[in-house]
Amino acid sequence: MDPDILVRGLTAGSLYALVAVSFNILYRPTNVFNFAQGELVMLGAMLFAAGKSTVGLPWPLALLATLAAVGTLGLAEEFIAVAPILARSKTGTGWVITTLAISLIVSNLVGWIWGPDPILVKPPAPLSLDTFEFAGLRLNSYVIALAALTIALVALIERAYRTLQGKAVLAVAEDREAALLRGINPARLSRWSFFLGGAFAGLTGILAAPILYASTSMGPALLLKGFAAAAVGSIGNNRGALIAGYLIGITEAVGASLLSPGYQEAVVFLVVLTVLLMRPQGLFGLATTRTV
Amino acid sequence: MLIVDSVDAGYGHVGVLEAVSLCVQPGSIVALVGRNGAGKSTLLRVISGLIAPTKGGIRFEGLDIAGKRPHTIVNCGLLHVAEGRRIFRNQTVADNLELGLYGLTISREEYRRRLEPVYSMFPILRERRDQLAGALSGGQQQMLAIAQAVIRGPKLLMLDEPSLGLAPILVDQVFDAIVSLRRSGVAILLVEQMVERALEISDYCYVLQSGRMTADGAARDMARSDALRTAYMGDHDSGSN
Ligand SMILES: Nc1ncnc2c1ncn2[C@@H]1O[C@H](COP(=O)(O)OP(=O)(O)OP(=O)(O)O)[C@@H](O)[C@H]1O
Ligand SMILES: [Mg+2]
Repeated sequence: MDPDILVRGLTAGSLYALVAVSFNILYRPTNVFNFAQGELVMLGAMLFAAGKSTVGLPWPLALLATLAAVGTLGLAEEFIAVAPILARSKTGTGWVITTLAISLIVSNLVGWIWGPDPILVKPPAPLSLDTFEFAGLRLNSYVIALAALTIALVALIERAYRTLQGKAVLAVAEDREAALLRGINPARLSRWSFFLGGAFAGLTGILAAPILYASTSMGPALLLKGFAAAAVGSIGNNRGALIAGYLIGITEAVGASLLSPGYQEAVVFLVVLTVLLMRPQGLFGLATTRTV
Repeated sequence: MLIVDSVDAGYGHVGVLEAVSLCVQPGSIVALVGRNGAGKSTLLRVISGLIAPTKGGIRFEGLDIAGKRPHTIVNCGLLHVAEGRRIFRNQTVADNLELGLYGLTISREEYRRRLEPVYSMFPILRERRDQLAGALSGGQQQMLAIAQAVIRGPKLLMLDEPSLGLAPILVDQVFDAIVSLRRSGVAILLVEQMVERALEISDYCYVLQSGRMTADGAARDMARSDALRTAYMGDHDSGSN
């Protein structure tokens, strides 16, 4: 078996989990899937890479600037592509097209500005991608930090839902009209969620950059598998997303090692499809809707 | 304090209410009655801003609130407890009550101070405060829905069929709560299927029939009036009962 299987599974799994969580952040108050999410991740990686190498910012500054920029883009997307659609009909699905349009625009703009060549981003010291042997498995310090940070971020997001604003988001997700009658303004929560969800996607891109390199091609793959993780983990359920992310990441690594790497995608989507056919609501379930 | 002035409203292109007017005086209980589908809930939804009127005006304490968004209207002190126990089932009883105060800047102390009267009105909520609201019985959910609105300190409370589907003893509790709220100065607009009980505690009554106000008067007189009977029997049905 491939000795790097754990590194690959954990790395990919962390990233899929993070993308899935960023989907959930936006989905809860709006019932909208942001199909531009993959490109926001990509933009985060590119901006961070550019900020560090081209502009020469120290990494904490590059990080903050990137989060602010991608968060603001998420907010702009809400204004342009989501709020007008939801204003017309709460159950309309026009946002599928408009968020895909934003996705294409971002992808093309970034390709036009930076070109197709991947940019190398080194992990911040003292972390590195140098592998070491541990109990017969190969690991590196960056992937350990990445997995730990992923778990910590999910825990942090879950804590955020224990605040009053977080409870209000859950209330909107469960019964929008009842939330309105309690003085909650879903439009405001929706804007905040797009800002924070955008920043979260930017952060995911920054974390992905040392492994995948920053390039325009990282968006679609992360979008698809992040979405798969969100669906398998049950939409809206962040702990589910975390587990499903690693499930998919490790399935992919195992698939690549048992078969040839060319088949890993097929293995992943076979597993995802099987799970969703048996349990369309995902593995974990979250009662967010109710019928009267 | 609330003046609804010849309002038209509906869903999409379907008109439901036609030239509906209604008035609620401070500190009074006003009953709004009528058959299923008459448009009672729709009228409450228009007042609380869930649907915008297509015509007419709505004033609350002198403020024009027609077409304003629900959270703005809530912040004026006009609270609407919707039909069907619309609480947040996936959150605890305490969380539900906290959400009742959403948007107010309130200290922890003030929050606890406001919980007291609500818990003494519905003691069961204190006992079950850490349980998921979805685990409450129907009657307890209704109490929670009312408590969520009451904790905010409303000036006018609109209740849509608060007794629907409750066991008789719980119905008594809900009606007692309404009376005690009025005693503490809250005006109430009450939609009820239990017309006789509603009229017993009300000061004034409006009868809505197919989207139009067909009668109104002091609750005492209405209890004996023909207008009420025809509203419930329908226009063409004049059989016994
Ligand atoms: N969401 C909706 N969309 C379209 N039409 C609706 C909607 N809700 C209610 N209606 C229609 O509006 C009319 C009035 O309904 P409304 O719920 O206001 O009546 P109601 O007096 O509250 O009845 P009930 O006693 O059954 O609660 C009915 O004909 C109903 O079919
Ligand atoms: Mg009704």
